[in-house]
Amino acid sequence: MKKLHFESVKDKADEIVSAVIGTDEVSSCKNDFFTLHLVCEELIVNIASYAYENDGYLDVEIEKMPSEITIRFRDGGKKFNPLEREMPDTTLPLEERGIGGLGIFLTVKKMDSVVYDYVNGENVLTVKKTIVNEK
Amino acid sequence: MENTFEVKQDGTVLNIVLNGQLATANAPALMEELNKYKNQGVTKVSFDATNLTYIASSGIRVVIFAKQKLGGNPEIEFINCNQEITGVFEMTGIKEYINFIKK
Repeated sequence: MKKLHFESVKDKADEIVSAVIGTDEVSSCKNDFFTLHLVCEELIVNIASYAYENDGYLDVEIEKMPSEITIRFRDGGKKFNPLEREMPDTTLPLEERGIGGLGIFLTVKKMDSVVYDYVNGENVLTVKKTIVNEK
Repeated sequence: MENTFEVKQDGTVLNIVLNGQLATANAPALMEELNKYKNQGVTKVSFDATNLTYIASSGIRVVIFAKQKLGGNPEIEFINCNQEITGVFEMTGIKEYINFIKK
């Protein structure tokens, strides 16, 4: 398992996304790379923007199995379950759409499993995806 | 490739060339640029996505902004949009509001 620790998230979303998608575990998922990039960006941007009053850490654990990749995000920010927020209504006419919540909506749609837990004062979000044969 | 965009006005049409990614790092700047054309009678916003490889929800919000907030309900066009980006439009339910063009 690959573990990445980021001491500070404030204004560092881009840098953190690049580090996570640059790991061998993620970058080797050729057929699912677009999806993994998208999901990592949405979740990391949310944490960097909203988790902390000022600033704080983010731990990312990545585990790649032959047919599945698991990425876990841990932060010590305020308790927040993104899965409880109202999902955007994508059937509404575009003129009437709100523009929030699309990131977590895409994450849930794109991944096979998204699980939230609050453990020892940490928000723990675990996402899993079956990976398509890369050969 | 650098994540850049270029906006050019041609009459009532806004032509926007996108390069690399349209995501958190550059989408807010494009939205700010588009905001300058608010209520100026724009009838069509044409995005050239020939060199666009990636879009995130922040990029999707730019497209929704163009449709909702520019005024006059302009036509939205994407030129040479790749399959994965088209898939994100489909998933977020905005594909039907976009004319996809191959050039």
